[in-house]
Amino acid sequence: MTLSRTAAPVAPKTRPRAHPHRAPGRRRRVLSYWPQYLAISPFYILFAVFGLAPVLFSFYLAFQRWDGIGEMQFAGLDNFKYLIKDEVFWLSLRNTLLIWVMSTVPTLCLALVLAVMLNSVKRFKAFYRMAFFIPNITSVVAISIFFGALFATNYGLVNGVLETVGLPGVAWLQSVWGIKTVIAVLTVWQWTGYNAIIYLAGLQTISTDLYEQAKVDGANAAQVFFRITLPLLRPIILFTVVISTVGGLQTFTEPKVLVGDTAGTGQSGLTMVFYFYRQAFSHNDYGYGAAIAMVVLLVVALFTILNWTLVQRGQDGENG
Amino acid sequence: MTISRRRLLQAGLFGMASAAVGVTAACGDDDSSGTTGGDSKELSLWYWSGGLSDKVVAAVSTQFPDITFKPTQVGGAFKDKLVTTITSRQFMPDITGIKGEDIAYFMGQAGQFLDLNELGAGDLKAQYLEWKWKQGSATDGKLIGFPIDIGPTALFYRADIFKKAGLPSEVADVTAAMGTWDTFFEQGVKLKAALPGTFMVGEAAEVFDMAVGQTTKRYADADKKFIGDQEHIRNAWDLAAKAVKLGISFKVQSGGQDANAAWNQGTLPAKLGAAWVALDIKSAAEKTSGKWRVAPMPSGPANQGGSFLAIPKSSGNPKKAFEIITWMLNADNQAKGYTDAALFPSAPAAYKLPALTAADEFFGGQVTIDVFGPAAAKIPVAYESQYDSVLREPFAAELSNVETKGKDPEKAWTDAVAAAKQAGERVGVS
Repeated sequence: MTLSRTAAPVAPKTRPRAHPHRAPGRRRRVLSYWPQYLAISPFYILFAVFGLAPVLFSFYLAFQRWDGIGEMQFAGLDNFKYLIKDEVFWLSLRNTLLIWVMSTVPTLCLALVLAVMLNSVKRFKAFYRMAFFIPNITSVVAISIFFGALFATNYGLVNGVLETVGLPGVAWLQSVWGIKTVIAVLTVWQWTGYNAIIYLAGLQTISTDLYEQAKVDGANAAQVFFRITLPLLRPIILFTVVISTVGGLQTFTEPKVLVGDTAGTGQSGLTMVFYFYRQAFSHNDYGYGAAIAMVVLLVVALFTILNWTLVQRGQDGENG
Repeated sequence: MTISRRRLLQAGLFGMASAAVGVTAACGDDDSSGTTGGDSKELSLWYWSGGLSDKVVAAVSTQFPDITFKPTQVGGAFKDKLVTTITSRQFMPDITGIKGEDIAYFMGQAGQFLDLNELGAGDLKAQYLEWKWKQGSATDGKLIGFPIDIGPTALFYRADIFKKAGLPSEVADVTAAMGTWDTFFEQGVKLKAALPGTFMVGEAAEVFDMAVGQTTKRYADADKKFIGDQEHIRNAWDLAAKAVKLGISFKVQSGGQDANAAWNQGTLPAKLGAAWVALDIKSAAEKTSGKWRVAPMPSGPANQGGSFLAIPKSSGNPKKAFEIITWMLNADNQAKGYTDAALFPSAPAAYKLPALTAADEFFGGQVTIDVFGPAAAKIPVAYESQYDSVLREPFAAELSNVETKGKDPEKAWTDAVAAAKQAGERVGVS
């Protein structure tokens, strides 16, 4: 009943067919497809040059000591040893995880609600979809500057509104939680629409028969949502969770613009990527920067796998 | 949050296109710059927007008609692009700018640049400020960076607000009444008492950095020894902590929206900053024109910023490159740089030229060179280590804890020193 289940058995069917071919014959066959390979090559060439090569170089660099210009010195595991006792790194990891949770959970919940609402819209469909997608294609730097003005402590609009209704103003960008909140709000604003559009696409694949049947059986709106919509959307939700994890754990531009190189009060805007940027490009400590980047990669992979298993397990439980 | 695949592809395509352009350009370059220390007729210059007077740069072609001069304004992270280019040993410029905050780092890479003394810079030494010349020289005496501009600091203040609060407001009176940090802070307390919600200091880190700049030592010495736990840093720390304790700090990041709004509203009527800060104030608080004045900084001047021109060792025609540099940075042209791009001259002869002695309407007709000129001459010489930025960071972070989280300054100091030592060990400073 799910996409992943039906997709799995397809692969083995094609594989045995390819097997009997001997090496030379196969090579000739591969060569005969050269126009096709040429056609898809730009992506792979670009990826190799601008994606793969820098990643491999960073991996190499993580075991070196290098100031960017002079000779590299092999440092063994020194960079990683230092990393373990580096309190600032652990702080940046905590910051990253907190900001990730504070932004991803509201983003996905809001997106789902929005998608259900969008799905029932009869008029101006294209307009709404575009309106919700626009934040996502707006420059992050521009948005961050704008949010910086909105949440300014003394002359910001948000505090202005709070004070008019008699509430005390908040030192948004001068407090540990304020900084994280502003970054999270910014992320929610930018990514809710994007995820809503993806959910909307998922919702439209659900057969209306199921809803009609539920109606006949006397299910109420909540039951329809939790018993039909949510389970059928699971693969889509998995996709958005993974994308949000990969993106959210690499937050950088927002804090860099909002609180600058100091990363704000108690360095509470210092995310992992921000920290490795600062080590490599502000302090010219490229080896250590690369080591941090490798750990970022590890953390992102770890959380992606964790998300994957959690969402998948939930699904198995339901079916069994 | 993330770079989409489309954006990555766009970036990739753009990169490829520019690489292709670069390759063709390089082919052209190779013919001419093949001979070392050669006599290339084509010279390129890298600088950033506002790094030199564009008019002076444009005039190079007429001044040196035998040379094809190719200036490029490199946008974005200038240092990173220069480092990448040096590392790849391709497409090197014949002359390049180096920003003040990066000069210590490039001193560690002195071998990548030519010693300007060998090209005859020694004869010009007397025309430039001594401390700035030293800043551009490696420890072995090689001159790497030729002085462009400097950033002598002063106290910018709004005379109207000072007057309203019953503080001295004329330049001479402010100079007399706020000659030291202590008297400056006292006036800050008075200011706050007279006009609640008005602050003398933008943020603690500003006081800290200025006070560090007033001494002859920084965070590490030439032997890679950590000296950030010594008295000169401790004094600066205490001054910053005192500003917080007295409640005269506005606690906002300078350059942010809040600080700009406060300049306009008069709730932050003072700013400690380098000469180039005048431009920031003018653009952020245009409506307050005529109300600002400049007085000497409490307890003496410091320097913030100011850049250099250098000749990479791969330069196609070092002799000509040096001629161009010295022409672009002679006193007359430095005065033009001051007019066009607010670059404060490093050649004192320029201070007597009309461009600098003119009265500034924004500062109520004050002749600001009367403050900046003497300040420029009195800036203390300190050894700047390429590790200063790493070592400074824990102090700035802990100071912000004191300022915004109410952390005990004593505990914060201990933590800052410990963190700075740990960071120092990593890079070999102990």
